[in-house]
Amino acid sequence: MLIGFLINPIAGMGGRVGLKGTDGVVEEAILRGAQPVSEGKARQALRQLRHALEAGARSSDIRWLTCSGAMGEGALRATGFEDIAVVHEAVETPTAEDTRRATAAFVNAGVDLIVFCGGDGTARDIAQIAGDQVPIVGIPSGVKMYSGVYGVSAERTGEIIAQFVAGGLDCPIVDILDLDEERYRKGEWAVRLVDSARTPYQPTCTQSSKALITEHADEAFKADIAEYLDEEIRSHRTTLFVLGPGSTVKAIAERLGIVKTLLGIDALLEGAAAGADLNENALLKLLDIYPVAQLILSPIGAQGFVLGRGNLQLSPAVVRQIGIDHLTVVATPAKLKRTPVLRFDTGDLELDARLADRRFLPVITGYRRRRLVPIST
Amino acid sequence: MSEPTLYELSATGRKAVSLPECDVKLATIPEHLIRADNGLPELTEQQIVRHYLRLSQRNFGVDCGFYPLGSCTMKHNPKTSEQTARLPGFAQIHPFQDEAIVQGALQLMFELQEQLKEIGGFEAVSLQPTAGAQGELTALLMIRAYHAARGEGHRNEILIPDSAHGTNPASATMAGYIAVEVPSDGRGNVDLDAVRAACSGRLAGIMLTNPNTLGLFEERVEELVGLVRESGGVVYGDGANMNALTAIARPGDLGIDLMHFNLHKTFATPHGGGGPGSGPLGASSQLAPYLPSPIVERLPEDKKGSVEYTLTCPSHSIGRMSSFHGSFGMFVRAYSYLRRLGAPGLRAAAIDAVLNSNYLRVRLRDDYPVPFDRTCMHEFVCEGQPKGSEVRAIDVSKRLMDFGFHPPTNYFPLTVREALMIEPTENECKATLDAFVEAMRAIAKEAREEPGRLREAPSATPVRRLDEVRAARELTVCEPTLRT
Repeated sequence: MLIGFLINPIAGMGGRVGLKGTDGVVEEAILRGAQPVSEGKARQALRQLRHALEAGARSSDIRWLTCSGAMGEGALRATGFEDIAVVHEAVETPTAEDTRRATAAFVNAGVDLIVFCGGDGTARDIAQIAGDQVPIVGIPSGVKMYSGVYGVSAERTGEIIAQFVAGGLDCPIVDILDLDEERYRKGEWAVRLVDSARTPYQPTCTQSSKALITEHADEAFKADIAEYLDEEIRSHRTTLFVLGPGSTVKAIAERLGIVKTLLGIDALLEGAAAGADLNENALLKLLDIYPVAQLILSPIGAQGFVLGRGNLQLSPAVVRQIGIDHLTVVATPAKLKRTPVLRFDTGDLELDARLADRRFLPVITGYRRRRLVPIST
Repeated sequence: MSEPTLYELSATGRKAVSLPECDVKLATIPEHLIRADNGLPELTEQQIVRHYLRLSQRNFGVDCGFYPLGSCTMKHNPKTSEQTARLPGFAQIHPFQDEAIVQGALQLMFELQEQLKEIGGFEAVSLQPTAGAQGELTALLMIRAYHAARGEGHRNEILIPDSAHGTNPASATMAGYIAVEVPSDGRGNVDLDAVRAACSGRLAGIMLTNPNTLGLFEERVEELVGLVRESGGVVYGDGANMNALTAIARPGDLGIDLMHFNLHKTFATPHGGGGPGSGPLGASSQLAPYLPSPIVERLPEDKKGSVEYTLTCPSHSIGRMSSFHGSFGMFVRAYSYLRRLGAPGLRAAAIDAVLNSNYLRVRLRDDYPVPFDRTCMHEFVCEGQPKGSEVRAIDVSKRLMDFGFHPPTNYFPLTVREALMIEPTENECKATLDAFVEAMRAIAKEAREEPGRLREAPSATPVRRLDEVRAARELTVCEPTLRT
């Protein structure tokens, strides 16, 4: 089997430093201290793939086409794969054009599957070239991953690839979604359907596309949730409240009379703003000063991710510092109806396991109302 | 054809009655309080009689047709119960009368309490709550008082299954609790893993409906009750679905600490327009001291062997939940029903209710998928979108009216898509059930072949399909223009 493999080495770098994507702002991300994340995610997926293949004694079945160095070859060799041909030479700071050229080389060589490591921007660039002909699967490593081509975690993506190689998966057509990052950074939702692609679908490992929930009564429920959290926040005066992205959480801040960034991480203390659009470092500094903290988050609709998508500033270190018992999750009933399970993909397997260990999380759905929602393990 | 309002029928100068000449001195009414036009319609007596008779003929109740409204137990209201309630000794007494001269009424209340204790397996019963939802609230206030008395007033979470009646979370919120919704598992039971995850020192209790609103008996109810009790919580039972269990299983024996009965469901007292409701509350020995007052007690026999009944207040009572004694007229009807049926009759009623429901479930499931298709209790829930069609449950319900049947409960419970909740009760004979099945099958066929007929239904009713959303959102009722 011939598989094309590429890593977008800058994908996800904007996340922890408080940018809402990395397209076009990689220099700023590096200035802010961003570290590459996709190489590590790719290795996690490839290790899992090796493991699954060895269990089935089929590792020799895969021939890899890839890009040089950090765009693919490095991770493949580091995880013990050998039948590798480099079809695209990586440059130091690759662009979307590199992704498209590599994809074209994969398609021309007649690959059976394209595996990439990145986010929605990378998926869009690949889908543009691969169309509906060659199936693609993504190792989740971007800031946002709304499209339907990713595994629910890097490791699970490895399992999807292994099952595809074994010939057991269908490849339905799914949506490729992306945000307009310019508008996104200014606090506007602009999720667009940009393309479609085939992806090997494994029901427990493939993540669904994000669904934007806009039911009529949603605003009323957001107001109820906000009223309840308003009381909670005011009655815990010495607690630092860290507010995640999204309109449900934003409604809480508005109720308190605070202007919240729609997509950033903000902090409140004694009912007043204590920091806006905070990145990982700023959050850690704030938590040093105010060790008693509570994290308020809303899951991504349908996908169910509470941590690890769209809020990478909340790194494993930040979550540990706050404490996993200090996590408040809010969502409207309509959103929960389409979000049957919650997921954690902080990239730190030990932390994810501890978060999932509770099996059910009470999600605040209204004034003094909660719903127990299962956590995917 | 729609019936005109009284104002539309009105014409100046018409009279229904001629009042005799006034034989007392006229009072002087201040000028500014006198109106030339008092805004009342002017009609003849015959017009009024016809108007109200026509309206009454358009009513639909259990007395004129099959009414399978799930979770409401629309069973027959026996006419002997009505006659009993109208006996002057019951109908014409006043709650301010001295206990000594209403001993018969107190005896009836006492005996009803005793019967409900026996049926539910409880230590004590209070007849105070005047509706099912008030029974829920009463129970929650008792749970509060119970925890507070034990120094555990910090317990503030009430578990509520996602299939529960909507009144459950509302009652919990009214009682100052946080309502925590628990998902169902793949067999329609409460997910025990979720309950286990929610059991903590903050748990005040659970509100459990058994059989649940899917009409299914909780298969691991004792384990569930055990989990909640072990973590210090109180188990409250919503007795709305008691009709499946009377004289077969006692909630108290299953470990339920508190449960309200719906006299207007299980014990055949009228509801809907016939009301009022009545939701007596049973309690285990631990919770009984917190019951609302008054409770009727029988005093020990005196030397002459005569018995006296009196109103008492439990030692830690949460106080009154309604004025006076509760819905007394309903006590008389329920008492009359219980005395006539006795334990064998109650048991037969429960068995027939379950049999009728299962009969309909099996005969309808080929056209209307049943998501949790196992032996049900007194009701079952199917999907109201017939197989192979694209109509909605509301269309099926509206079309049923053209066939002369009251629609089942729509879109509840929320855990089933396009839900239709069907409860036939024990009263219906096989011929009625078969006629209902034929109508439902005919509708399913129409849904596949000419769905437009369903979407336009009803067509044989005085008014066509009403805009239900508008009715809920535009609350302004315009006063009709007076005809001059």
